[in-house]
Amino acid sequence: MTATAITSDTKSHEELVDEKIVKFYLITALIFLTTSMLAGILVALQMIRHNPFAGIELFSPGRWRMVHTNAVAYGFLANGFLGCLHWAIPRLTLQPVANKKLSWFIFAAWQVVVGATAIGILLGEAQGLEWGETPVWIDPLAQVGLLLVAINFMTPIARMKGPMYVSLWYFLAAFVWTFLTYAMGNFIPEYFVSGTSAGAVGGLFIHDLVGLFVTPLGWGLMYYFVPILLKRPIWSHGLSLVGFWGLAFFYPLQGIHHFLYTPIPLFLQYGAIVSTIAVELVVTTVIINFFGSIWGNAGVVRTNLPIRWFYTGMIYYFLTCLQCAFQVTLTFQKVIHFTDWVVGHAHMVMFGVFSMWIMGMMTYLFPRLLGRNWASRSLCEWHYWLSTLGLFVMAADLILLGLFQGWSWAALEPWDASVDFSFPFWVLRVIAGLAMFGGLLAFLTNIWLTFRAAPVTAPVKSGGLLPT
Amino acid sequence: MADPTCESTGVVSTHKDRSIAWTVTIAFGVVILIPCLMGFIVKFGELVALTKDPADGGFAITPVINYLLASAGFFFLLLWAALNGMFRDLERPKYLMLENERELDAHG
Amino acid sequence: MFESKSGILYIAGIGFFALAFVSNALVPWLMYRDIPEKTVAELINPNLRYQFEDLARRYPDSFNATYGTPPGGDAKDDAWWNEKCADALRTGHKLYVGEGCWHCHSQFVRPVSNEEERWGPVSRSVEYQNELQRPVLFGTRRVGPDLCREGGRRSNDWHAVHFFKPESLSQASPMPEYPWFFDGSPDKPNAKGLAIMTYIQWLGSWQESYPYYEAYVPSPVRKPEEIQETE
Repeated sequence: MTATAITSDTKSHEELVDEKIVKFYLITALIFLTTSMLAGILVALQMIRHNPFAGIELFSPGRWRMVHTNAVAYGFLANGFLGCLHWAIPRLTLQPVANKKLSWFIFAAWQVVVGATAIGILLGEAQGLEWGETPVWIDPLAQVGLLLVAINFMTPIARMKGPMYVSLWYFLAAFVWTFLTYAMGNFIPEYFVSGTSAGAVGGLFIHDLVGLFVTPLGWGLMYYFVPILLKRPIWSHGLSLVGFWGLAFFYPLQGIHHFLYTPIPLFLQYGAIVSTIAVELVVTTVIINFFGSIWGNAGVVRTNLPIRWFYTGMIYYFLTCLQCAFQVTLTFQKVIHFTDWVVGHAHMVMFGVFSMWIMGMMTYLFPRLLGRNWASRSLCEWHYWLSTLGLFVMAADLILLGLFQGWSWAALEPWDASVDFSFPFWVLRVIAGLAMFGGLLAFLTNIWLTFRAAPVTAPVKSGGLLPT
Repeated sequence: MADPTCESTGVVSTHKDRSIAWTVTIAFGVVILIPCLMGFIVKFGELVALTKDPADGGFAITPVINYLLASAGFFFLLLWAALNGMFRDLERPKYLMLENERELDAHG
Repeated sequence: MFESKSGILYIAGIGFFALAFVSNALVPWLMYRDIPEKTVAELINPNLRYQFEDLARRYPDSFNATYGTPPGGDAKDDAWWNEKCADALRTGHKLYVGEGCWHCHSQFVRPVSNEEERWGPVSRSVEYQNELQRPVLFGTRRVGPDLCREGGRRSNDWHAVHFFKPESLSQASPMPEYPWFFDGSPDKPNAKGLAIMTYIQWLGSWQESYPYYEAYVPSPVRKPEEIQETE
């Protein structure tokens, strides 16, 4: 076993990492996040019947609802992850990406895909599959883009020698999975199957997109950034083997749990439920591993903001998965399916976990990329607290409301009654959403101020630590 | 040292530390296990009742057997890999990775 | 193997994905392969035709501007109406998807939570084996009511006014307004308006219980002889 240790001929950071593309990806990600959050606010305002653009076709809340979810998945999360991967993979493998020009081509092509998706949706060209709304004429381009991403990143992983670190297992698998998942979801239910079987494929698609694209990239990056920020290795590399293989085996088997009580065969629904509960045990091992890593040193969350973002995300992750293990049972489904509970759950995963992790990585990377320390620590704190508390309020609000809605419907109360009592909850959701958006604005302001400040000659503070 | 919080020098694990760790772990385990076990026992009872039904019994037991077979296959693969010595020196990459980071930052 | 590149690539990356695809997607696919997929033309039924012709009667100007006039001759007319009705269904479905209606309105009735009482008969697989369920519109959220038994419950007039400004009919409704389905006022639906109304009236039109009313009790009107007996 040859080691991947540094030798004299090893390339330096500058040769490995194209910092410019990381910066571009991260900034684009933030632009799409802003778009997505504005779209979310528009839809939330529609729910409380205060839509400022009522009656304007291009501002149709139904269309912006799809922009909201697509911009988060493909605009924010994908760009954010790609940016961080351009940093992490070369540094982990000590090999540059396959081709730096190809990286820029992928960057441009991906923005075309996301932008065209948004425009297509706004023109009413969406397809009827959640997260697969991407208009038909964009699907092939996106598919090629994902293939190129896989080639570009898998080359350094293939070239490196020696045993692979856990992050790389996740990345390697994620590139294959994302490609296959996208192909499955965007072509099969549209062209090959219809009806109930299309429902099964669709369920698998939306589920795999979270489980096989977002989750492995997110955890892979956590396994990279947490140890280097804590300056101590992950608690157990062996335990992470359980986490990875458990995810790989159980996660894809759960697609049908999105459509329980549909005409999809019940024994398949049972199978999906069982493996969902099983994956909760796997998640627990991963959480234990990360909390084992910070054990005895937990005080750093006070000063080290990236670590604070990461571990907050992990707590939300644990809560989400715990919630998952319960809500997936048929007993819970009777009540909560179709209600705002599901919306609360989705926000807790996408914002509470993965967005928080990307925010943490951005908090770490921006000072390094800009060659300046953060201009304002208090703005960083505002960003964190507004996001964390805003999300907590939103998720709690919607999850609780979901229970009320479910019980009201089952009790055969008039439909209007459930809309009436939802109103105050929806108002609170707008307020929470505005708080989260405020956090983002604080972050954007901070980046701008940092960008305008004079560069520091000394290396920026390790771990994106902030001036106190 | 610019930032002591970031420079962890490893935990000095005292007896007190360890007992806290155990308490937390056990409490955590109990919180998860009690509802899970309750749910499992109830559902398992339902399954046993259902398998006795001549019409739906086979239908109920088929997916369970499928899952057990798939899991068993995976388990034996793991066992085989372990017996073949694939899990020796499992922890090395995590130290190498940190070493690389230090070197890259020192040169950069 | 568990840490090697090829192990991760082939076992986790491709193998487990394929296993999940076979068990979660291919199995239901094969199980339902014997239910033929209906084309839009095959979906037209007398209930739907009634609603479609009703649109022509209520909004003659809009209707003629969109679909023209029947060529005359009974047999020919029938084919003409069916063809236009299929057009309207296709356009209506595209609008229903493109406007994201399905994000707030589900299209399936579950066998639990008293849904059978509220919405109508529980959904069956065969109902979804048609061209307008590509991809299937089960939906995941009900901000507004389920729609798969909606057809025939309300008149075309009601739908026109409701699409134009939902609040005028259901006071607290969070549903957006769709003035671009109309030429200025609710009595002038344009091609989009006619199509979306046709689509909505189609939902559930294949059912025996069309239209389905919640807790419907037959009208208490009594036959003349019964009245005489009691009085």
